[in-house]
Amino acid sequence: MSTLVIKDLYAEVEGKPILKGVNLTVNEGETVALLGPNGHGKSTLLNVLMGHPKYKVTKGEALFDGQNILEMTTDMRSKLGLFLGMQHPSEVPGVINSDFLRAAINEHSEKPISTYQFYKLLDNATKEVKMPFDLATRSLNEGFSGGEKKRNEILQLVLLNPKIAFLDEIDSGLDVDALQIVAEVINKLKEKGMGFLAISHYARLYDLINPTRAVVMINGRIVVDGGRDIISKIDMHGYEWIKTELGIEIAKEEKNMNTVSIGSCAVKENIK
Amino acid sequence: MKELFLKDISNTFTVEENQKLFIDNFDGEKSFSVTVNSDVESQLSLLSLEGFSGNIDIKVNTNSRLEIFYADLAKNSSNVKVNISLDEGSGVVFHLASLTTGTSNKNFTISVDHNAKNSTSFVDNYGVVKENGKLIFDGVSYIKNGCVKSVTRQNAKIMVFDEKSIGIAKPILKIDENDIQASHGAVVGKISDEHLFYLMSRGLSEEKAKVLITYGYLKPIMNGFDESTQQKIEELIEGRM
Repeated sequence: MSTLVIKDLYAEVEGKPILKGVNLTVNEGETVALLGPNGHGKSTLLNVLMGHPKYKVTKGEALFDGQNILEMTTDMRSKLGLFLGMQHPSEVPGVINSDFLRAAINEHSEKPISTYQFYKLLDNATKEVKMPFDLATRSLNEGFSGGEKKRNEILQLVLLNPKIAFLDEIDSGLDVDALQIVAEVINKLKEKGMGFLAISHYARLYDLINPTRAVVMINGRIVVDGGRDIISKIDMHGYEWIKTELGIEIAKEEKNMNTVSIGSCAVKENIK
Repeated sequence: MKELFLKDISNTFTVEENQKLFIDNFDGEKSFSVTVNSDVESQLSLLSLEGFSGNIDIKVNTNSRLEIFYADLAKNSSNVKVNISLDEGSGVVFHLASLTTGTSNKNFTISVDHNAKNSTSFVDNYGVVKENGKLIFDGVSYIKNGCVKSVTRQNAKIMVFDEKSIGIAKPILKIDENDIQASHGAVVGKISDEHLFYLMSRGLSEEKAKVLITYGYLKPIMNGFDESTQQKIEELIEGRM
């Protein structure tokens, strides 16, 4: 059984510390709900674990089966069996979804998959997530609706079959039916033994996927690690009780002035 | 549409009927002119592997269309000037995709003169610069006085890979008439970190991810070529990345 152990993890973005000593263990086969107010580091944690270039780890380690993944490239982490279902999946023009999926599957298997095998696999997976097959033949996420993007994330989750999957608000942008489908897929994967660390702001997703544990992140640390009852408590009472029960002052989300001015509208750092 | 594969192009070439022209070895130094006769639908596909330099003068006569696909995958330097002249009711679509690597220095000047009303031009220049390469997209779309209801758009995008690579895009509009539509845009920048991260988070190596993104970026040019040439272009891009 695979285990991810995060030890005293510190990370910053553009010089601003976000994670301030995270300690957390996630086992394969476990479903952990990651809760916490906005701006306290939940998404940062998942992105740091996957190796997003924007975040800089300043201290600590994350051991996946004993190996420190923080020293690895993002693709190596994926090959080891980690996966991040993104909150805002990128639109990549010109890269055909199916070409990308096939390349990704090939990276995860010893020998390249045949065209026939691939289409069979893709056909089954698109049916499982109830995604129209033609979305697989279009440019990656380009022009996809919010719900379609999230389904495409779940499609990739099914195809790549990781040991532990991080889900960053996988339920946002989904309608009730789509949420049901996504939850069904997650439950099937859970039965197969996949582990999950899932962020959501809504108890609804958690009701559907039945987490084994719930952890709460405040001020860049995990301050509560306990049973499922925490989810309903937060759903009903918010986060204030943590302040009174644990004596933790909850930092308010800072909102900086927008640095983009009208004069810079034609300047882009990256080509989209 | 009738297809014609040319080994080379003569100094003056006339397109008399609806046809697609392909030149697979569009290389060397040369200047020539192409005239598209009235009421003709045509396509000109150019594949440059060694490098081409010279002036290309194109005249599109009344109510005719010409779509040009120019794939430049040469390792050598080049200096290309394309001047397109449009007559009443005519239109041109120009797609350029250039892969500039090594120490090569490439300069593409794509200009369109709208000489009569109801003429349309769309110029899309896409480029990727690596290593010590330098790539310049230049050109003027000129709508003359009296060319009412004309439409022009110039679009230039350059993806810059390395610190020493240089990309310059100058899409210029010169407009002497009010009743028209004109727009231009330019983007020069590095490959998106978000895109790379997304592809790599699914297990693709950085190199493989860059090839996929670059190929996708240069892809609009593929529509101008048959399947075997497309495959050749794809392999060339992959080999050069």
